[in-house]
Amino acid sequence: MEERIKVKIRNLFFSYKGRDVLKGINADFKENSITAVIGPSGVGKSTLLMTMNRLWESIPDARMKGSVEIRFNGSFHDICSPSYPLPQLRRQVGMVFQVPNPLPMSIYKNVAFPLKLAGRKDKEQTRQDVEKALRQAYLWEEVKDRINNDAFSLSIGQQQRLCIARALVLEPEILLLDEPTSSLDQKAATMIEELLLEIKERYTIIVVSHYLDQVKRIADNVIELSGCGDGVINHGNGVKHKPVLEH
Amino acid sequence: MNRLIEKATMMFCWMSIGLLLGAGILILGYLLVKGLGAVNLKLIFGGTIPLDALLFKKPVFDGLFPAILGTLALVVLSVSLAVPIGISTGIYLAEYAGPYTKKIFNLFFDILAGIPSIVIGLFGFSLALFLHKHYSKNVQPCLLISGLALAFLVLPYIIRTTQVTLESLPSFVRVTGLALGATKLQNILFVLLPKSFSGIISGVILAIGRCAEDTAVIMLTGVVAMAGIPKSLLAKYEALPFYIYYISSQYKDTQELMTGYGASIILLLLCLLLFSIAFVLKRQLTYLALYRA
Repeated sequence: MEERIKVKIRNLFFSYKGRDVLKGINADFKENSITAVIGPSGVGKSTLLMTMNRLWESIPDARMKGSVEIRFNGSFHDICSPSYPLPQLRRQVGMVFQVPNPLPMSIYKNVAFPLKLAGRKDKEQTRQDVEKALRQAYLWEEVKDRINNDAFSLSIGQQQRLCIARALVLEPEILLLDEPTSSLDQKAATMIEELLLEIKERYTIIVVSHYLDQVKRIADNVIELSGCGDGVINHGNGVKHKPVLEH
Repeated sequence: MNRLIEKATMMFCWMSIGLLLGAGILILGYLLVKGLGAVNLKLIFGGTIPLDALLFKKPVFDGLFPAILGTLALVVLSVSLAVPIGISTGIYLAEYAGPYTKKIFNLFFDILAGIPSIVIGLFGFSLALFLHKHYSKNVQPCLLISGLALAFLVLPYIIRTTQVTLESLPSFVRVTGLALGATKLQNILFVLLPKSFSGIISGVILAIGRCAEDTAVIMLTGVVAMAGIPKSLLAKYEALPFYIYYISSQYKDTQELMTGYGASIILLLLCLLLFSIAFVLKRQLTYLALYRA
């Protein structure tokens, strides 16, 4: 299968409170595959994710320069342009955080929440979409009998899968995951890895990970951020692509 | 040495709590011992049959019923004026205002919070005079003017609690809605505000208490010793705190002083009732906003 580029990052600079976090990053992310972003702490991995859905704009004192282009409907769009509507971008690019962050509402309402934000009125269609998203996140069987219970009654691993379902319910094209398993135990983490491998055919998945063995298990491509001034793997653009062994 | 300081600090903290608790119990106990004997239906309804009074069939002349209704009306009026304005202002300050605007408004509301209530009462009185002179001879110090002045008095509490609660929400809560495609307004309405209900309600409770107890403002803006049940927003009215003040400075015998203690107990009970309503409202609102299927 021909591998197509989904996200193109060119000459990206990012600073937070005057401190440079990313300096001249160039990177491509391929479609329908899992790309892992690795590197030492504080090197800007999460920041890199946040440039792809412009979530960084809600952080005070942050500055960004450079271009991030994403291919939607066959052509590349400059998503950093102020004219690109934010809510639409964030519906196309879903995000899952390090610590599961369900909202204080029922399981069902959590997953239906993005649909509500998007102005969906059709109840039956919503029900179907919620079920589909929960199935994709491997959670449906576990929660189908208590769908109206509080989301916080779920275990932490289930909560994280709930957050994945919530990110998937709008059928985004890209799924960003920021260390999605680091607050989970081994069993829950394995479940999420399997789930990512299962859905990668349909999405472009970009995952920040600390665990090299996890990266080996799931990633098709790896992008390593080396930190500024680190001359060893820094090829002038701070990013290095390296293929990972087949799994 | 360090351990000694630590122990002393602990001791001091415990003593402070003990002192506070003791004082609270002392006040309540004193009030109950002195006033409980005076609390009965006659204190509230005087010579009128309670049911007739409750159905507004017959007026109550020598009981607290009109004062209770007056205080209730006052609290409901001023809180319902102050809450929407206060919450909106709090949202503006926490979510929309730029750093410079915020500084100025914060200073302004701090000053507003520090204005003595008698000054606000005076302002309400001047407002009534102004309206009387330039708008209509029918306007005089009345329930509406008192309500407006009290709303002004409690506005800073509501603004500040709303603002602080919103600002102290952790950043991961803030980005949850945004990452799911919420607009700024949607994020405030569907995520941030529901998450802040308990903080906001505590501000509202503070406001209720302040409206129920304040005497200085209402003394200048329309409360009187004898008015019967408030007939309209533009009428004079009676209120419990004013009754307590009035009795304690004008009583003729012990019997009358006792009714003052009784009125205090009733005022406390009224506040308790209003606080409980606020708590139920908080739970209901949270439920409606977050859990309703």
